[in-house]
Amino acid sequence: MPPLLVINSHNGVPAYRQIMDQIKLQIDSGVLMVGDEMASTRALAAELQLNPMTVSKAYALLERDGVLERRRGQTLVVRQRSTHEVDESRLTHLRQRLREAADMASQLGVSRTEAMRLFREMLNPPKS
Amino acid sequence: MNSHPDSPLVFQATNLAKHYDAHVALAGVTLSLGHGGIVGLIGRNGAGKSTLLNVMAGLTLPTSGECYTLGTRTDLLDSPELTRLGFVMQEPRFVEWMTVELHLEFTASFYPSWDRDLQGRLVAMLDVPVKRRLGELSTGDRQKVAILLGMCHRPALLLLDEPMSSLDPIARSRMLELLLELMGDDECTVVISSHLLNDIEKVANRIIALDAGRVVLDEGYDELLESYAEWVVTAKDGQSLSPFTEPCILRQQTSGRIARLTVCLADAPEVESFATAHNVLVQTRPLNLEEIYALLLRGQEVVA
Repeated sequence: MPPLLVINSHNGVPAYRQIMDQIKLQIDSGVLMVGDEMASTRALAAELQLNPMTVSKAYALLERDGVLERRRGQTLVVRQRSTHEVDESRLTHLRQRLREAADMASQLGVSRTEAMRLFREMLNPPKS
Repeated sequence: MNSHPDSPLVFQATNLAKHYDAHVALAGVTLSLGHGGIVGLIGRNGAGKSTLLNVMAGLTLPTSGECYTLGTRTDLLDSPELTRLGFVMQEPRFVEWMTVELHLEFTASFYPSWDRDLQGRLVAMLDVPVKRRLGELSTGDRQKVAILLGMCHRPALLLLDEPMSSLDPIARSRMLELLLELMGDDECTVVISSHLLNDIEKVANRIIALDAGRVVLDEGYDELLESYAEWVVTAKDGQSLSPFTEPCILRQQTSGRIARLTVCLADAPEVESFATAHNVLVQTRPLNLEEIYALLLRGQEVVA
């Protein structure tokens, strides 16, 4: 099953990076499960209207990073990772967003207590 | 030596120059292209893009320097190489009285490798009016025919000179799709010139920029995008920022406690250590091809 990816070719982020980030996020959020097969390079390139070299670069780097693995034959599948690896990877996505939020809080002069209260509230929305 | 039959390069030029009387169209171009990939050839009007493509196709001979296309010196290109070469010119010339259909038959007869399936698909995809005479066609339709004539023999090296300048958005997007397909199937090497960077950034994996007949940039597209960034810097202490002196900062605009920096990442410090050192907040944003291109050209002018 080809994952649903959206590539923006005008935002300055190389397309192979966007593919990698989105596949990682899909894996870490459970959209893609261990053992799920990736679309072939050719199929994904055709679907996204990208240079096949771009897709194979993204796949090769995901394989190098231990996110995907090549099963006998050619198919790339989502690799089984240790709990530690998975946790670390999940936090990476969040860390990036929180970094921006922390900078924004500081820029706006929102106090630490106030910012933490807001984050806690978002994690546990009050039941109305 | 007249040819490099075993050369893995589809094009190779050393110190290529082309003068038209006093006008210098190419001023010492050295470059080589391997198999496969899509090269985006960019540059302003008059930068030398068309001249370079004409030299590659053997239609123009260089004033000095050496160049080989598909392993053969370009002044000696003959049937074996020419049947593996496709060239879509900006202003194509046809036998004007022929219908599109007849012209396709006529051109196909020169190429043993002519792909009729591809021709049929292209006609449908680009919506080409095959029954009409070439002399009656609009600029956009003429460009479509030129694309068909340049691609249907499945060339190993395909040169496209502003191939999409007269196409509507739908035909443009189909054209890009097609290039990608062709590349995937045949390991064809494509060189596409355009001053429209939006077309290039969707497909190219290497960017060559010409300016005043010189190569001012020749880099992988991904590497290029990853070489520069914009940092928006805000002072933490509310004080006004003084100019930054790091050599990695190519441009800076400061307005009170906020500054916008254009940074060359190769020799830049980590964002975190920069932020700590200056007691600032840093938001980073990648630059796209258009922004990088403008940056490089400006740099060029400063040097000159």
